[in-house]
Amino acid sequence: MIGMANGSIKGKALAYVLVMLLLAAITVVIGLLIKDITYRGYYLTLTLGGIVLFTSVIYAISIKLKSSEDVKGIATSAIQALWVSTSMGLGYIVTANAPYFQIPQAYAIALFAIGWVMLLFGLYSLLKLSKESGVPLAV
Amino acid sequence: MPANEETKGKDVFGDFATLVVPEEHTKSTLNIFMIYMGVLAVVAAIFAGSGLAQMYDAATMLKVAFIGNLILAIYGGLIAYVGGSTRANTYMILRYPLGRLGSLIGNLIVSAIPLVVWFAVETWLFGLTVNVIYPDNPLTSIAAASIWGGLLMMVTAYYGFRAMAILSYITVPFWYTLVVIGFFASVDLAGGFDKVWAARPEVIAPLGVGITYVVGLYASGSVITSDVARYGKKPWSGAIAWAVHVTIFMTALLFAGGVMTLLTNSPNVIVAIAQIGLGVGALLLAILGQWTTNDNNLWSAALAWINTTGKLNKRVWVVILGVIGTLIAGLWAGLWGMSLEPFINFAVYLGYFIPPVGAVIIADYYVFRPLVLGLKDPKERYKFGPGTKYPLVNVPGVVAVAAGGAIAWYTQQIGWGAPVINGIVSAFVVYLALIVLMEKLGISWGVGEWVESSTGF
Repeated sequence: MIGMANGSIKGKALAYVLVMLLLAAITVVIGLLIKDITYRGYYLTLTLGGIVLFTSVIYAISIKLKSSEDVKGIATSAIQALWVSTSMGLGYIVTANAPYFQIPQAYAIALFAIGWVMLLFGLYSLLKLSKESGVPLAV
Repeated sequence: MPANEETKGKDVFGDFATLVVPEEHTKSTLNIFMIYMGVLAVVAAIFAGSGLAQMYDAATMLKVAFIGNLILAIYGGLIAYVGGSTRANTYMILRYPLGRLGSLIGNLIVSAIPLVVWFAVETWLFGLTVNVIYPDNPLTSIAAASIWGGLLMMVTAYYGFRAMAILSYITVPFWYTLVVIGFFASVDLAGGFDKVWAARPEVIAPLGVGITYVVGLYASGSVITSDVARYGKKPWSGAIAWAVHVTIFMTALLFAGGVMTLLTNSPNVIVAIAQIGLGVGALLLAILGQWTTNDNNLWSAALAWINTTGKLNKRVWVVILGVIGTLIAGLWAGLWGMSLEPFINFAVYLGYFIPPVGAVIIADYYVFRPLVLGLKDPKERYKFGPGTKYPLVNVPGVVAVAAGGAIAWYTQQIGWGAPVINGIVSAFVVYLALIVLMEKLGISWGVGEWVESSTGF
């Protein structure tokens, strides 16, 4: 039973981090789509999305390499990665609609929405992981 | 004498204000790093870069900021290691180089008084910034914004280290990314990086002037690094976290502020961000940045007051000091429009004596105890816990701090050398000269005795 619970933590942690990775990848793709329209919007997505992509990949590998029994280590890595992604979600919410970036409205709304998903999903997954693993949010 | 690990005492004051942090409450190096980054995440750090822009071109600014911050990394890192190794906060550590009574005075000089003043000033600046961004709303008047800002900052300090860490985790990546975006946007709007490298003031100052300026910016903050470093999982966690954050990120913030000043004559990243249509971003930048810095000011001040009085717990002190600071910001400055200059002048005057306190800690922990008293093991040099005996006054320590502070003040008045560094070096030399001489001559350098109680006081 304990083994199953530990395996489930590892699976959940990986899933949470990979969801963030996927969302960040979508924002980078949006950036590529608007590259010829606005270099500012392109660099914005490259910065925010790139940070999440980089962090998620590094931490996903770190979680994958950990033994399922190492619940604390897995949760610590995942929580650290999720804090960064959640914080960047806030970044998208704040920046996507700013006139300076000249992002076409449809794309800006998409980035804004993804930012909210990252923020809310991040907070949910942080609380869930912290509760199930006993690792504090202030890891 | 009891060992740190064996005696924990009762944490009656909260956040281990008078006790060694137990192993199970220690945090990762990343956690410590995030707290330091949260403290640094304040617009004033960017504003400070404008001082460099009046002296140097961009490339030289970068060099000067890096060297100055490298000195701060070593100075603050050495002090942070003392906290990490002993798991004690600044005010407990001071019991050794200053003595128990001496440390009470040290607490007042280092944190208890100046940090309340800086809390008030930062809270007022917060109100001012919010008012600049949103000028036409009663809730964003300087007085109102100072008051609700002050209350916000009290919340995380009230709940303690863990709450401050959570706020830093959500704030720090966002804050620094937004500053980078604001920086590049203002460079972009001002004509690009070609203009950055070409811009220069009329007269270039000697490198030493700028390095001194940079060291002076954060020398006082470097002295209280142990307050956070004591939570480090490893003895070196705080030292590494401090060194990395100050060398890389403080340098980057100063450079950003300096470049913005060279290009636009204003280092105001908040205004720049508001100008590019990020009104909400600018507001969040102001709120979160000031919040993560000022809750730490309040928290450290509360720890210092507990160690000075031995009365009331951390939460009560946070409320008392927070209300005082908020009233000074909101009513005194915000509503009545009176100047904060008298408070600032007093804090600046006390500030001359803060870096020498750090010098005395370094001299005592790294030189006197291992090389003269033969305490080679870092964990054996300072011990805490109920029953521990401390001298009431460490005479060389008190004399060295007074001398270092006076020399820093005097050399500032006559414009000789680098006052902050003069104070640090003087205190270091005076302390070692006196205590080594007294020890070798068999003269007691510690006067009286104080026995630690079960509460750690």
